[in-house]
Amino acid sequence: MATPKGGNFGKVLEIDLSKQTFKTRPVSDEILQQYIGGRGLGAYYAVTEYKAGKNALDEDAFVFVGPGPLSGTMAVSHRTCFAHKSPYTGLMTHAETGAHLASEIKFAGWDGLYIKGRARKPIWLSIVNDKVEFKDASKMWGKTTDETHEMMVKEMKDPEIRTAVIGPAGENGVPFACIIVERYRAAARSGTGMVFGDKKLKGFAVRGTKYAVPVADNAKFLAAARVNKEGNMQGEAWEGIKKWGTGGLMELKHFLHGSLIVKNYTTTWYPDVVKLGGEEAMRTFWKRHAACTNCPTHCLKLGVIRGGKYSGLVAEGPEYESGGLLGTNLGMTKFDEMIALIEACDAYGLDNISTGGVLGFATEAMEKGALKPTDLDGLKPKWNDGDTYMEMIRKIAYQEGKAGKLMAKGVKKMAQQIGKGSEAYANHVKGKELAAHDPRGDKIRAYSYTMGTCGGDHHEGQGPQALGMTAMADSLCICSFTNFLVYGAGTDKVTTDMLNPLCGWNWKTEDYWTTAKRIMTAERVFNVREGISSKDDRLPIRMYKEKLPAGPRKDAIFTDADQKDMETKTYNFFGWDAKGIPTEATLKAYGLDYLIADVNAAKKKYNL
Amino acid sequence: MEEKKLPDVLKKETTRRDFLRGTAAAAGSAIAVTAIGGIAPKKAEAQYSVQTAPGTKPYAQKYRFAERQNCTGCRSCEFACSLFHTGNVRPALSRIYLAKYKDIVDVPVMCWHCDDAPCIAACPTTPKAIQKDPKTNGIVLNEKICLGAKCMKCQEACPAKYIRGNADTGQPLICDLCGGDPQCVKACMEQAGNPQGPCLQGRPVGIGVNMAFRDVTPDQAGKDLANLLFYPNVEGKRVVPAKTKTKKGR
Ligand code: SF4
Ligand code: SF4
Ligand code: SF4
Ligand code: SF4
Repeated sequence: MATPKGGNFGKVLEIDLSKQTFKTRPVSDEILQQYIGGRGLGAYYAVTEYKAGKNALDEDAFVFVGPGPLSGTMAVSHRTCFAHKSPYTGLMTHAETGAHLASEIKFAGWDGLYIKGRARKPIWLSIVNDKVEFKDASKMWGKTTDETHEMMVKEMKDPEIRTAVIGPAGENGVPFACIIVERYRAAARSGTGMVFGDKKLKGFAVRGTKYAVPVADNAKFLAAARVNKEGNMQGEAWEGIKKWGTGGLMELKHFLHGSLIVKNYTTTWYPDVVKLGGEEAMRTFWKRHAACTNCPTHCLKLGVIRGGKYSGLVAEGPEYESGGLLGTNLGMTKFDEMIALIEACDAYGLDNISTGGVLGFATEAMEKGALKPTDLDGLKPKWNDGDTYMEMIRKIAYQEGKAGKLMAKGVKKMAQQIGKGSEAYANHVKGKELAAHDPRGDKIRAYSYTMGTCGGDHHEGQGPQALGMTAMADSLCICSFTNFLVYGAGTDKVTTDMLNPLCGWNWKTEDYWTTAKRIMTAERVFNVREGISSKDDRLPIRMYKEKLPAGPRKDAIFTDADQKDMETKTYNFFGWDAKGIPTEATLKAYGLDYLIADVNAAKKKYNL
Repeated sequence: MEEKKLPDVLKKETTRRDFLRGTAAAAGSAIAVTAIGGIAPKKAEAQYSVQTAPGTKPYAQKYRFAERQNCTGCRSCEFACSLFHTGNVRPALSRIYLAKYKDIVDVPVMCWHCDDAPCIAACPTTPKAIQKDPKTNGIVLNEKICLGAKCMKCQEACPAKYIRGNADTGQPLICDLCGGDPQCVKACMEQAGNPQGPCLQGRPVGIGVNMAFRDVTPDQAGKDLANLLFYPNVEGKRVVPAKTKTKKGR
């Protein structure tokens, strides 16, 4: 078991919440070369440690919080990945977030945090370099994410700590509860908040001052990191995202692409987007641009509302997804009300996207008569009704009343429960709500929604190669904006050129691709063991049945031919069979022989 | 000497402003850039750097200035500084660092290289453990004679509350201007703080304004900045859930 020459310490911090103990879990260079870190390493732990059907909320279920080898180095932009089995979808999942948490974990001397067990009473963790403390969180329980963050800062007397916390939604077992990192960033879409809540873990705070990431060949690595940074500074994407964040994409995707979602995916045409998007935000709201670690792109925009009923509201956004799901998706026309919905989700620790999906679905169901006000504690959501949406969000977070309990199930189970034809407009993939890109207007996005590991996710990669490059970016824990969205086909080289001198590896660009495919395939095996196959790799019914009624992509629809083409291209690229099951040859080629028996058992069990 | 230089500085300033005006005009189209292109790739350094304005020679950076509202909190300055001084990226050993204020603003905390240098005046050793390098204006620490953690008179004396202790040695972390080529300024220029321009800038002269900036603590600087940017919510408090919260978690 070789220790890493650079990029990693070979040390994961394993924390047992049941026993309130911690220890070093060594991780060898061989494993790191194969699974990298973050998402990949989390997937490795999950496929090797879990059996099929494992309950995501078992006491010994883990959440792996991973930086990657590039975190805390001169490479551009460091992100953190939360990888685990999702209690929401029952599948392997990974939630990425920005800010400064990843590098701080590295500076504390760790390649990742492996958190398992369940505390008897609410606790939180303080991790300062090698020291871990289990702290009483009874006073924090029930508090919003920002209040919790502030209490941690106060108790540790250090505003520079990096926190990851849950809000009331996670405590109350909402399956799409998220983790909020450093107040404004979310690791969402995976139900990580629910897992933390189940573990009675309110969150953790990290401070690292003692260590620096080792580098095998400093001069060579710095030169490669330089190329990485310059590419970012010269890229055109840089200019756009820098200025407008992703919020500016709202107008762009609406007027040019015809893919901005509107009113529960009924259309993509909504000229009122100009009241909600990046240009409005730039003119009236944004005051400050903020960046993740060592990133020149600073896509985070902070603003303050001046005047009106939300005067004084400081918030982050709108981002493309949050503004889409909680803005145009709900037929909103008032900027401040949209921002308030976004901010409320962040405060309660709810995934903006799934929550917006639920609200949009509930509104259409109410319109079509599948839901009645009596089902929702008297609430009668209609488009553009900010106050009712605010109340619904609160009810979801606390699972309050009939309404809260129903909506906290998510769109798929809501439709199953209420019936009345509502499945026809229940927009989810594998039980998870879609993001703000309508796949009829943006067909390549369907890869991300259907072929990605998590289901319904916008950030899994558009196209087979992109699925692979995203798996790499999420395992290296760097941002796609600063990686393959800048370098495209040259990403394998730029990345390999950094990894070799950093980690002391001898990768060729092919190894980049083998690793990408290995990680994707390991995750796929995890999901196949849970019964997933090509039958599940499908978009919501609406996308195949209803043409877009207006906009730049009027009459667009996702056809069976589109579906077939997407399946073939993806499965071929990764070496999976026509049903989307990794073949034996593929597993052998990627060094995943140890999963062959699992795949065969699943094939037999699910008749694949 | 300095008088001769001053008009030069102003001229360079104008060059930069003109550039910024150009950016503002292009702002409307910048949104389409991500998808359809438009602005030719440029080097950020060349775009924003005062020193490399065409046809001018770089000048000595004896002082620095921070356009605080431009700071994105990216920590590139911390990365560059610690890398230059220790060979590793380790922000805890950086001679510039970020202070968060109420989670809404970040303040780069740095040495202003005061002409009166109260830190040096307070240093009890003979000769002084910290001294200005007359060539660069940077403050150089003599590790052999510095008394370290048990002294820290320099830290007490600094009106900017800038000086931190080195976590390993206990001695003060102080800015030597990297021997005349401030790495943090370079890093910040590349990050180009925000579309308005970079936060950190190098200057040949202190222009007096440093004193006003120097005499505020990082906390006060954060307060000022929050006031400037986030009025009326200068504390950055969340207002939405407070209005709607009715019930505690179960
Ligand atoms: S490099 Fe500039 S923008 Fe980034 S944190 Fe430092 S001062 Fe702020
Ligand atoms: S800012 Fe502080 S450390 Fe720098 S010269 Fe002035 S007194 Fe000394
Ligand atoms: S800590 Fe060192 S540099 Fe500072 S005042 Fe004391 S002796 Fe001088
Ligand atoms: S000038 Fe050099 S020593 Fe001073 S803060 Fe900047 S990088 Fe550090």
